[in-house]
Amino acid sequence: DDFMERTPFKEQKRHQQKHSGPKAERKKLKKQEGSTEEDGRKRNPKAFSVQSAVRMAKTFHRSQDIKTKKHHIPHVDRTPLEPPPIVIVVVGPPKVGKSTLIRCLIKNFTRQKLGDICGPVTIVSGKKRRLTFMECNNDINTMIDLAKVADLVLMLIDASFGFEMETFEFLNICQVHGFPRIMGVLTHLDSFKNNKTLRKTKKNLKHRFWTEVYQGAKLFYLSGMVYGEYQIQEVKNLGRFISVMKFRPLVWQTSHPYVLVDRMEDLTDPERVRTDPKCDRTVSLYGYLRGTHLKNKGQVHIPGVGDFQVADVNFLPDPCALPEAQKKRALNEKERLLYAPMAGVGGVVYDKDAVYIDLPASHVNQQQEEVRPTTELVQSLIDTHATLDAKMAASKVSLFSGSATLDSTDVEEGPREECVWDPNTQRKRRKVVFTEKEEEDVSGSSDDDEDGDVDSEDGDQEEQEEDEDEDNLSTFLKDARAESDETEKTVTDAPPAKKQKVEGGKKRGEESAEVPAFADSEDDLEMSEEESEEEGENVRAGDSGHCSEEDEEESGDDDDGEEEEDDKEESEDESMEEDDAAGATMKKQTARGLRWKEGLQQKASEAFLRQQKAAPNLRKLVYGSVVEADDSDDEEQELGGLFRVSRPQNSKKSQANGVDSSRFDPDASHNWDLEEMLNSIRDCFVTGKWEEDQDAATLLKEDEELYGDFEDLETGKVHKGQTGEQDQAENDEDDADDDDNESLVKVDDDEVQKKKRLEKKQRLKERFNAEYDDEDATYFDDLKEEMQKQAELNRAEFADVDDETRVQYEGFRPGMYVRLEISSLPCEFVTNFDPHYPIILGGLGASEGNVGYLQMRLKKHRWYHRILKTRDPLILSLGWRRFQTIPLYHIEDHNGRHRLLKYTPQHMHCGASIWGPVTPQGTGFLAVQSVAGTKANFRIAATGVILDLDKSVTIVKKLKLIGYPYKIFKNTSFIKGMFNTVLEVAKFEGASVRTVSGVRGQIKKALSTPPGAYRATFEDRLLMSDVVFLRSWYPVSVPQLYNPVTSLLLPAGQKDSWAGMRTLGQLKHDLGIRNKPNTDSLYKPVVRAPRHFNRLHIPKELQKALPFKSKPKQQQPKGKTPRDLQRPSVIREPHEKKVAALLLALSTVHNHKRKKAHTAQHAKHKEFLQQKEKLEEAKLKRQKEARKKLYRIQGQVDQKKSRSSLKGAPQDD
Amino acid sequence: VCRNNNNMASHGLAYDGCNFFRQRLVLSTLSGKRVKIKNIRSKDDNPGLRDFEASLIRLLDKVTNGSIIEINQTGTVLFYQPGLLYGGSVEHDCNLQRSVGYYLEALLMLAPFMKTSLKATLRGVTNDPRDPTVDMLKSTALPLMKKFGIDGEGFDLKVVKRGMAPGGGGEVVFTCPVRRTIRPVQLTDPAKIKRIRGVAYSVRVSPQMANRIVESARGVLNQFIPDIYIYTDHMKGANSGKSPGFGLTLVAETLNGSFLSAEMSSMPQGQGDPKLPEDLGRDCAKLLLEEVHRGGCVDSSNQSLALLLMTLGQQDVSKVLLGPLSPYTIEFLRHIRDFFQLMFKIEVQKPSEDERKGGDKVLMTCVGVGYSNINKTIK
Repeated sequence: DDFMERTPFKEQKRHQQKHSGPKAERKKLKKQEGSTEEDGRKRNPKAFSVQSAVRMAKTFHRSQDIKTKKHHIPHVDRTPLEPPPIVIVVVGPPKVGKSTLIRCLIKNFTRQKLGDICGPVTIVSGKKRRLTFMECNNDINTMIDLAKVADLVLMLIDASFGFEMETFEFLNICQVHGFPRIMGVLTHLDSFKNNKTLRKTKKNLKHRFWTEVYQGAKLFYLSGMVYGEYQIQEVKNLGRFISVMKFRPLVWQTSHPYVLVDRMEDLTDPERVRTDPKCDRTVSLYGYLRGTHLKNKGQVHIPGVGDFQVADVNFLPDPCALPEAQKKRALNEKERLLYAPMAGVGGVVYDKDAVYIDLPASHVNQQQEEVRPTTELVQSLIDTHATLDAKMAASKVSLFSGSATLDSTDVEEGPREECVWDPNTQRKRRKVVFTEKEEEDVSGSSDDDEDGDVDSEDGDQEEQEEDEDEDNLSTFLKDARAESDETEKTVTDAPPAKKQKVEGGKKRGEESAEVPAFADSEDDLEMSEEESEEEGENVRAGDSGHCSEEDEEESGDDDDGEEEEDDKEESEDESMEEDDAAGATMKKQTARGLRWKEGLQQKASEAFLRQQKAAPNLRKLVYGSVVEADDSDDEEQELGGLFRVSRPQNSKKSQANGVDSSRFDPDASHNWDLEEMLNSIRDCFVTGKWEEDQDAATLLKEDEELYGDFEDLETGKVHKGQTGEQDQAENDEDDADDDDNESLVKVDDDEVQKKKRLEKKQRLKERFNAEYDDEDATYFDDLKEEMQKQAELNRAEFADVDDETRVQYEGFRPGMYVRLEISSLPCEFVTNFDPHYPIILGGLGASEGNVGYLQMRLKKHRWYHRILKTRDPLILSLGWRRFQTIPLYHIEDHNGRHRLLKYTPQHMHCGASIWGPVTPQGTGFLAVQSVAGTKANFRIAATGVILDLDKSVTIVKKLKLIGYPYKIFKNTSFIKGMFNTVLEVAKFEGASVRTVSGVRGQIKKALSTPPGAYRATFEDRLLMSDVVFLRSWYPVSVPQLYNPVTSLLLPAGQKDSWAGMRTLGQLKHDLGIRNKPNTDSLYKPVVRAPRHFNRLHIPKELQKALPFKSKPKQQQPKGKTPRDLQRPSVIREPHEKKVAALLLALSTVHNHKRKKAHTAQHAKHKEFLQQKEKLEEAKLKRQKEARKKLYRIQGQVDQKKSRSSLKGAPQDD
Repeated sequence: VCRNNNNMASHGLAYDGCNFFRQRLVLSTLSGKRVKIKNIRSKDDNPGLRDFEASLIRLLDKVTNGSIIEINQTGTVLFYQPGLLYGGSVEHDCNLQRSVGYYLEALLMLAPFMKTSLKATLRGVTNDPRDPTVDMLKSTALPLMKKFGIDGEGFDLKVVKRGMAPGGGGEVVFTCPVRRTIRPVQLTDPAKIKRIRGVAYSVRVSPQMANRIVESARGVLNQFIPDIYIYTDHMKGANSGKSPGFGLTLVAETLNGSFLSAEMSSMPQGQGDPKLPEDLGRDCAKLLLEEVHRGGCVDSSNQSLALLLMTLGQQDVSKVLLGPLSPYTIEFLRHIRDFFQLMFKIEVQKPSEDERKGGDKVLMTCVGVGYSNINKTIK
């Protein structure tokens, strides 16, 4: 109490902390160090000592295990810089709000409203992200296809109803084909009136969802609708989640290219369709390429249609491009693009050679006719330079109306290109040749560029040209124009030539003066044999010269992208100019106005081809059209001293059948006896001169420079490196080398020095990095670093190459908007086209287009209500494909034998073998029994994984051959009924047989009669009733059924009704066939008669001999005593009663007395026994004592005796 | 409704003439594409496939499972539908028209992609002047393949018996482990040659021949580098095959572990002019100098092997610096384009003026097709 009283009033004096003095210092020191672990160790060493080495090892192991578990195998990051849009698949049962959600999200991102969601909808959602929405309907085919391409799945769940089968089916499909990101969305939450039930339902659904996906998977709640849309804030939140989401790479997706088609155009000739409506269609399909690089002319699978060879691939400008410049601010309205051609958004869509304008539905019928005129106009206006090459390569030119179209490849063949009919000028156009004078002119043309330009000013055409590609204007163009002018003025049929060639000629000087000025000698190479016969010599010289030229240029350039572009431009211009030359006068041309545009395509195509030929670099030498050319020279020519061109010649079969050897014969021109030749390879050896950065002497010097400066602390002497001096010396050397242009050198000097310094720094940094934390680096780190490096290299290698060239090396990279042309698609694909169904082009790997036997591990799904039967057709989803096939189930025995099973095990994995498309091992698959309609039950019948691919199978079926003995000797029996002929027996000689009762035996030899009977020996004598059987294994063949599910070809509205081969059970059910079973196999009610046992009879003699115990007892059990033998009961008189009572009392007393006496007697006796025992004990003790005494004496005596016998023997004697 | 959907889209390729026969069959096997070769020596007096080509087909049949090979009656048309590479233990008597190297080159390309690791015993001519000999393949092709991640204890090529042309009688055992994927490589710097090794072999001639070869070869090479060691290998008795002959294989090893080789063997008995061992040694050394002049990280006879392994690598950039491309390689590049739709980026690297490093080099760059061994079983 007094404490309470005191405290509030009187404050205690505070502790004064010391700020100076030894105590304060100590404290400060302590604070500085802190209580580290080290400190603790010092203070309490026992607590940190090793108690148990085993335990320590265990903890160490555990911590290492945990650490290692976190590691994943590092992969090379191959995501492109501009990734394709993310595929968001919205799934859910019908009427759950899928379309509404997509509409809301699109509105949220782009502020645009979309009516019907059909086909993929691509939008730009952010500065770096694009999204493609795709709605998944309730068809299991669609669910399977979309699960394979989805990056993110929005799984809509009707909360008022709960989970539906589709949801679980979709989850299971995802699990098999690689698990994409899955986000659950609960809708219809406004139907809950009670808040508590709402909360409960939410919780229940959430936990069920978590068990299916993963603990903590995101589940979104869309609480209610406002005017038929979800609440803006909730949609916005969902959008935010989507736009920051990260994705994991899935194995199948990252190893295969694929396209989710968002546009389809039928390119088939309408006339053909009219005459034969069922003809195969040529179709171009568009979409973003995803996954990995796609090669041209590859194979693709379209799920629901089949396998196809891609006729052509091009990339198109991105219709839904990301904003170019990365700005800080958010996207503006213009950048929020929306692209959904199938939903009719976009209005005008461009093809590589056509424009499609979407008109309202009422005009659909006239669309074909209406579009045509506008198309051309728009087409001529659109900026096309981006995809010119691609266009030209694929475009077709019709020379005469009604004639066959000329493909650019046709033109490329060579000779035909020489004379192309020009509809403009109404004459044959021929290639023309420049004269010598012209070349010189052009070679010196850089000076009179200007005049040339001025001259050409009056040309109307040039002006237009300029308008078109002002920015592309280059010096080349100017050159070309000047050139063309000259041509016009001087010689009408003067040949225009390539500038390159001209330069080449100039360099080579006069010696090659007579070289005919064909810019591209390749043309000549491709000319027919007789034509080029005489020109051969000249051409050869020109060719080789040209090539070396090109090589030099290339090696100087380091990459040919730029150069090619230049070439392209140049050639483009040239086509114009050639046109000029061809035209009679320019005036006419100008008068025609827009006429030049008509021939544009053709001209450009020619230009492209020429440009191709004019760039005879190595690539062209190896890959050019040379292969098809008819080459007339029989000697391999050497190009630039580097390459021998080997051209397979169709004309000369000797070449085509040449010796097949990888040996490369040495160059005859090299004479290795000459000193200069020897000198040319001196530096290839370690004894030769080293590079600056590797030479030991230089490196040492460098070290000196870097580490040379130091101060000797003991002596105080300062050592200086000799940087300055050395550099100075170098400079001096340089100066000495080129005295005449000293001033120039001085200017460059600083640059050089700077460069050197930078290099040095770089090297130092590298060295430091290499040494730094080297000891921590584990194998895992190294691997990761290696992958990182590879990824960087992958990105950097083709980064600055233009796309046209790049796609040839890499293939089309993911993220590009591509157009794939596929010929010979079934007509149903077009006629029954339904944009609500996804069209996926799945690229196939090297040999994934083949069929073979697949061996897989399979497990019946635990939710599927039946087991699966061998040889019942099953629909598999494997890789991109969905197909029906006939599996055989089997299990592996302990000795590796694959034994056929009739049914899949209930809860166990088993093997399955099918005939199907070759798919890499480790690919997952799922199986359904049918894809038609919707059933109440869970549809996924089985899941599994591919284990092995082969061209043969090794499944065997157990077969028991049964026979019966017909003659039995001791251990030998004759068996019949197992075989039919002697030959059959002969095949099985030595085989082991067995009886049902377990007696083992062996087949010995066939008997002549009856046929098929044999002699066999057994380990015991058989009985005639025994059944002998021989267990054997019979190889089974897998039925070769591969039937792709062609659901996309079905008419719209019936696409979910694909029915393939029926199972035997279905067939029987449908045809009303009832199985007629073997009557023996039928189950009948078991009727068992009561068994009667006979009495056991023992002979009399034996009975006599038996002991009484075992003798059969003759006595009958006592029956009831008959009434006459029963004695009557007694009834007492009162006196008698009294007497009896007294007697009873007396006897009771007597009994009591006797009992008492007995106990007393008993006690007494007990006492007596105790006494007796005691006495006995005492007696024993006494006796023991006595005996002991006796023994002791006896022992002493013995001892004495023995002692005396030892020493006193002589005395005794 | 369901029409012609049962056939798969893979179309075959067609070629004319038997040139580059091996390349076509090997690439067909690896890519799974059918191939049809027509007009095989159709204008020849002796039309059709030769015995050694038939022998190669037989060998391919042995290492694959389920291949379909159809040859017409005259042997001028061959249809080959490849099966799956099976591997395992294979014994093959190679035709004596070509040496074991001819067959081995094909096997080297196929061996890493089998179902089970390959153990091939090839019998025939081990050394002849036309094909790369087994010694050369052992010393250059194997280390090259190791760079692509094909290594392990089972990777070996053993010359059990040596057999010279024309009699043969040699025996080679080639074992190779199986790989699922091939590593991308960056072989852009061959570095300098640190040593030269070699084997001078002689069978059924005087053992002194080998020493004479070594002597003359050293004479040429000693001007460049002192670290030269040429083993002499004289096989006797049963291991010496059926024909006499001698030869030399030289290998130059660089600091970065790339190998350049040259070889020369005596003309088969009864064909051509006999050559003195001294001349052979000197010429072979000059051939090596020629090879050094060509340079690159891969020697000229293994160019196609390196390019193939680059092609079959993962989808990453691979680079290899080569010397001038041989005609065989150029054709191989074309075939790779046919079978795998893959084109190489080909750049010429000219040595600078003051460098004395031989001729122009070619830098080959490609992105692998992401090939994975579909034959290998997983358990």
